[in-house]
Amino acid sequence: MNPVTANRRHYEDLAIGETIALGRTQVTKDMITTFAREFDPFPFHLDEKAAKASLLGGLAASGWQTAALSLRMLVDAFLSKIASMGSFGFTELKWKQPLMVDDTITGTATITSMRRSKSHPDRGIIVIAFDIRNQRNEPVMSMNLTNLVEVRDPSAPIPEAAE
Amino acid sequence: MTRWFEDITLDEIFPLGSYTFTAEEIIRFGKLYDPQYFHLDEAEARESHFGGLIASGWHTVLVGHRKMVDALFAEEDRLRAIGEEPGLSGPSPGVNRMDFKAPVRPGDVVTYTLKVTGKRRSNSIPGWGLLFNDLDAVNQNGEAVYHAELVSFTKLRDYRPSFRLRLLMALTRVPGLGQLLASRSRP
Repeated sequence: MNPVTANRRHYEDLAIGETIALGRTQVTKDMITTFAREFDPFPFHLDEKAAKASLLGGLAASGWQTAALSLRMLVDAFLSKIASMGSFGFTELKWKQPLMVDDTITGTATITSMRRSKSHPDRGIIVIAFDIRNQRNEPVMSMNLTNLVEVRDPSAPIPEAAE
Repeated sequence: MTRWFEDITLDEIFPLGSYTFTAEEIIRFGKLYDPQYFHLDEAEARESHFGGLIASGWHTVLVGHRKMVDALFAEEDRLRAIGEEPGLSGPSPGVNRMDFKAPVRPGDVVTYTLKVTGKRRSNSIPGWGLLFNDLDAVNQNGEAVYHAELVSFTKLRDYRPSFRLRLLMALTRVPGLGQLLASRSRP
């Protein structure tokens, strides 16, 4: 028994179709340039003039910043409240349009798939689909995150279809 | 690596360098972007199946991205130093897949490499090409930390817009007409 997660929701408490409402995060110019200086120092994330001349058409957040802020919203709304065991990674991360200065992101995350691990009966594997939107409800980013969750009763039989 | 689209060779491996992850950095990143207990607190992390503090996978990925950007700038400097005009990198439309393979613990040294595995001209943005890149990260024991398949835009050197496109671009500069054309040409 893991004392940190004992009272949190486990794999058995989750269901396909559960939709998590994410919070809201506004990105200021200062947030954009601070993040870019550390992780993504392309001129179009640092300098207004260079950004205007680029494909982005203006100062825009690094796509990785949009992803990191979306992850933070999922941790606050969901992953810190379940018996999360970390992530296997993600697929189909799509940056649909840039996040410009003072834009706000929000959105939903939906459980789209669940299965027990065959090799580790104490683990369940869930896929969470992100739909991140801006203040005009336009799609900004999507991705499918794979996350591990503790199974409360590992002795429960694993359905045949599980891997 | 900021080379023109035409000059990018497939399957050439570019070393991007290494990074040592400290407990302080791991916790600082965790607090900002991924506040799950195994990224924040050594004692609580010991209760997890990881058995101790580990870096957020996103932290290792963002450091890898920074290493790649630094390598692009270094390549630009190298080309200028030998009298060549460097190409131009653009933003990325996305990541096809990212596999976190082994956790990164305090003191681990992660080494990154980049390989372009495919390229084609962009259908949606004239004058630009798409690159398909593998970014691989391994730790000091040679274990894979993550494998990423990234997509990015890079500019064509030998691009000359078609007559139709040049005409369209000229017309969009006519006041009033430009907006009309832009709204009609949306997919």
